[in-house]
Amino acid sequence: MTIITTKKPFEEVIGAIKQTKKIAIISCGSCAAMCQTGGTEEAKAMAEKLEMEGFEITTVIVPEEVCDNRVMKKDLRKIEEDLQNTDAILTLSCGLGVASITEVLSNKHPDIPVFIGTNTEFMGMTERIGRFYMRCRGCGDCLLNETGGICPITTCAKSLMNGPCGGMVDGKCEVGNYEKDCGWVLIYERLKELGRLDLFTKLRDPVDWSESGHQREVVWR
Amino acid sequence: MAEVKKAYSRLGEALAKDDFILTGELEPEKTTDLSHTIHEAKEMAPYVIAANVTDSPLGIVTINSMAASHIIQRETGLECIWQLTVRDVNKLGIAGMMMGGHALGLRNVLSLTGDHTALGDMPESKPVFDLDSATLVKLVREMVDKGSINGHEIENPPTIHVGAAANPNANPMESEVLKIARKAQAGAEFLQTQVVYDLDKTIEFLREIKRYNVPVLLGIFPMKSYGIAKGFDTFVPGVSVPKDILSQWKSIKNDFTDKKMQKEAYDQANYEFFKPFITELRRKDLLAGVHCMAVHYPRIFPKLEEVIKSTN
Repeated sequence: MTIITTKKPFEEVIGAIKQTKKIAIISCGSCAAMCQTGGTEEAKAMAEKLEMEGFEITTVIVPEEVCDNRVMKKDLRKIEEDLQNTDAILTLSCGLGVASITEVLSNKHPDIPVFIGTNTEFMGMTERIGRFYMRCRGCGDCLLNETGGICPITTCAKSLMNGPCGGMVDGKCEVGNYEKDCGWVLIYERLKELGRLDLFTKLRDPVDWSESGHQREVVWR
Repeated sequence: MAEVKKAYSRLGEALAKDDFILTGELEPEKTTDLSHTIHEAKEMAPYVIAANVTDSPLGIVTINSMAASHIIQRETGLECIWQLTVRDVNKLGIAGMMMGGHALGLRNVLSLTGDHTALGDMPESKPVFDLDSATLVKLVREMVDKGSINGHEIENPPTIHVGAAANPNANPMESEVLKIARKAQAGAEFLQTQVVYDLDKTIEFLREIKRYNVPVLLGIFPMKSYGIAKGFDTFVPGVSVPKDILSQWKSIKNDFTDKKMQKEAYDQANYEFFKPFITELRRKDLLAGVHCMAVHYPRIFPKLEEVIKSTN
């Protein structure tokens, strides 16, 4: 599993950091490296581009996983001296990286803003580098045992619990000009293959948003 | 036939009595002035039991269908089938609308998924789809039959009949048939189909869903002109107007210069196409009625009435 990120336009990044001068770049060595939005190469390229724009780069680090508070505590300690002289951090990671750095820095450097150079797209399945697909939305109440392993919340453009809808034509979805498969037809075909159309006929209740509609936590110790 | 225990509307009464039903369709536009729609409603009122009032079709925003249904009923006496999509309002909002709709005198609702917001003229809107077309039926039936919502009692619960859509053109057909099974399970009291032109496919589909015992109103689209027929064929995904119909309509367009005679020729051609179509389906006991979706073509209703009388 990879958190899929794409690069923000460089002008947008400049727009965000323009009130600062001395920048530390923290580039994720994990998912973002795989998406070629973070990692060593992208960090280096970003540093060069920012210098061309007149920014000063105080440090560049590539932690193993920016989203892991434990990793960041260790790695930020190593650059403590550089941070004394830093106006802002630019993170090349997913949104979790920004959250992690901000939380870890909150005691010692609450004055350093943490900016992001990417857009976090989705939790993705990898076909190969450069081909990543959303197959799960992480809704917190997995239906896959009943839908032949194909998620309707993800593959149906309307996330319907009881599809297909009238927007399906010849197995394709009305969203995107009938180019993508209708998720519910995929589910139908898979369940038919498995001899489990009884599951397809089941009337499913709406998603219960009482738990999943707000910020979630998993805390077990 | 289906279990319609109590009737809250003319449509409900007709379903309970097993009368053959004719319904029409009204499509209010992006306006606060319903005078054109009201005019059309008055013209079809003598021929139909009720008329559907659309809810921002194709995701193109129009006047709210609950408000429009209420005004049409108030101004014309024509009973409305309030189309309600689950696209724009969440479960809580829809439950509130059911009480509001009842208070405004609405007694029939058609549960629809709704075309995706991405297709319409406000594509940046958040698509809601908290419910779907089956769970909306279930919600209405709980409110009406049990007088409760999520187990909480409603003082003076709404009394509204709820129907759903069915698509005989669906490919694959079986996934649509099994979806109808869910709508029937949820308590749909009637079905209105998508527009059909293919008799064999329609027979196959209606035979498949007959086991669910929900009365079916067949969706038809009499074509007012060659332009309308051609446009329908080109722009409505998943529905094709048969080639011979298109060429017949084209000759009517070319052969009649006199507008009055041309109109009569179109009306007659519709009569001749739909009469055998409906006769065959009634003979096979597959229909509870016909739902005519030809908006802005109310003059066809006397002819449709004739078709229905002659096929009785």
